[in-house]
Amino acid sequence: MSEVKPILSIQNLRTWFDVTKGLFAPKQIVKAVDDVSFDVYPNETFGLVGESGCGKSTLGRTIVKLYEPHDGKIIFDGQDISKLKGDALKQYRKDMQMIFQDPYASLNPRMTVGEIIKEPMKIHTIYKTDAEMEKRVHELLDIVSLKPDHIRRYPAEFSGGQRQRIGIARALAVNPKFIVCDEPISALDVSIQAQVINLLDDIKKRLGISYIFIAHDLGMVKHISDRIGVMYLGHLVEMGPSDEVYHRPLHPYTQALLSAIPIPDPKTAKLKQRIVLEGEIPTPINPPKGCPFASRCPRATERCKVENPKPVTLGSRTVSCFIYEK
Amino acid sequence: MALLKVENLVTDFKTDQGIVHAVRDVSFEVNPGEVLGIVGESGSGKSQTMFSIMGLLADNALPVQGKITFDGADISPVSFKTKKEYNKAMQAIRGNTMAMIFQDPMTFLNPVLKIETQLIEPIMNHKKVSHKQAYDMAIDLMKKVGIPSPEKRIKQYPFEFSGGMRQRIVIAIALACQPKLVIADEPTTALDVTIQAQVLELIQSLKENSDSAIIMITHDLGVVAKLCDRVAIMYGGKLCEIGTDNQIFYDPIHPYTKGLLGCITNPDADDDAPLEPIPGTPPDLLNPPVGCPYLARCESGMAICSKQFPPVSTIDATHQCACWLLHKEGVK
Repeated sequence: MSEVKPILSIQNLRTWFDVTKGLFAPKQIVKAVDDVSFDVYPNETFGLVGESGCGKSTLGRTIVKLYEPHDGKIIFDGQDISKLKGDALKQYRKDMQMIFQDPYASLNPRMTVGEIIKEPMKIHTIYKTDAEMEKRVHELLDIVSLKPDHIRRYPAEFSGGQRQRIGIARALAVNPKFIVCDEPISALDVSIQAQVINLLDDIKKRLGISYIFIAHDLGMVKHISDRIGVMYLGHLVEMGPSDEVYHRPLHPYTQALLSAIPIPDPKTAKLKQRIVLEGEIPTPINPPKGCPFASRCPRATERCKVENPKPVTLGSRTVSCFIYEK
Repeated sequence: MALLKVENLVTDFKTDQGIVHAVRDVSFEVNPGEVLGIVGESGSGKSQTMFSIMGLLADNALPVQGKITFDGADISPVSFKTKKEYNKAMQAIRGNTMAMIFQDPMTFLNPVLKIETQLIEPIMNHKKVSHKQAYDMAIDLMKKVGIPSPEKRIKQYPFEFSGGMRQRIVIAIALACQPKLVIADEPTTALDVTIQAQVLELIQSLKENSDSAIIMITHDLGVVAKLCDRVAIMYGGKLCEIGTDNQIFYDPIHPYTKGLLGCITNPDADDDAPLEPIPGTPPDLLNPPVGCPYLARCESGMAICSKQFPPVSTIDATHQCACWLLHKEGVK
């Protein structure tokens, strides 16, 4: 992979929110994303996992420029996106698309499916004539397995899985190079989840695009992702090829997280030993110094409470924990 | 003898679009001390089946048909003369011998009442104890569900608790009167993975340390595999297969059960088996199909499937399935 240039490179990204209440109150900062770095290569799916409040969605939204980062760089296709202006910025908006979690909230109920899919094409003036645009809409509906006569219907007439397909068709309408999928299957039923996962995988193979796949369903993330990043309290604590991370988790948090997944197999599920994690995730408002996981980590030492571990590279994997320091 | 016996349960709802047939002729039993998982997709009727048993249906529900026997007593709505009599009988049972754990603890708990009030209320309602005794029982319950420093926490309001802690409170309220049956409707769906594991372990330990039976409604087959002794699969308002956990996971018979198992991944497996999604979408229960509701998505569909719902076949004492493939009429 090293000789291939990454399509997206996140460098020391920080997205902070000021939530100070009142004029003279002490400053309160939510460090939703704090010093996160990783690369995504062309035609790769990078999975981001973590529990609610770990910053995975904020990270996704910062990448598509829905939030402004506080610090750090996002390099896409060799360009720093914070410096983009005018046409270059518009091009970035076209190349980088997003699929949202809630297919009920992310589609305008007063637009037909055709209008929804055409809107980004019109904004980016991709096609000169209406006929060309119409043809492309039909192609997209075919890619996401919807029928041509659906074009004149409204979102309310579709089920959750079908709506998510409309969202995917809209994201594909501008021929993006990269799609951030923010929990695209969480709102769907089990049998429909598998349909959408297979569709996303198929689109990736056919069109050669890259994904960031954000989810809390660890089983599905492993299935679709080439590499995985595990987030905790705004930090990326571990990263590596998905099979390796699942079978040999290095970071104590990853180990605990993976041991907590209920396995859909009665014989192993009833025997499985879980690494007990006491308590819950601390608040990201003014987080304590040191390793973010120190307060719940079974292997925490005094050093973990005062010093934040730097990422250690071990072959194809990266882990932020003092255990692996040489 | 079965603790709960449900026979030919039918629940319909009147809506502006017409009658929704949410539960269509469902029968099953729950034995004392066992955990029965009820699995199905949204709209399969799994939650409405339980609401029908508890007598907690929405106002637009039509009278529930069928027979429900709980703990030796007939609690079918049709067996009571008036709705008032039925409600009175159910009020003595609910929260007492039959308790419920809901999906979202924040909507279950009253935000303006202290935990103390909410925990003591069911005890005072159903048991002849003094307020002091009820308070002591409440503290014991909080210890039992693993809430640290209960004497301090009992004076707090629900918003002061985290999601996992709130669900522990809900479980404590459900257990207040040592129920014979606990109905848990997606108790861990709103929780994070590590918190879900904590709550599942709590339910597991309660199962081992008491003789309460549990009905676990869920769509997560991982949760079912971990906790349940028996599993019932629902689809389109019908019960399509019921068996022990091993029978359902390792010897599924109904094409829907097989399909459902093909839709999930096992993150522990070395090689990633490709996902085999079920094509199509679940049926609309406004106009449910006459025959098998799964026909439109079934690979083994036959002519007879569209005409009539298959009768239930008994494979062995613990395993039943409703599919025409098991009948000789099912030859194409």
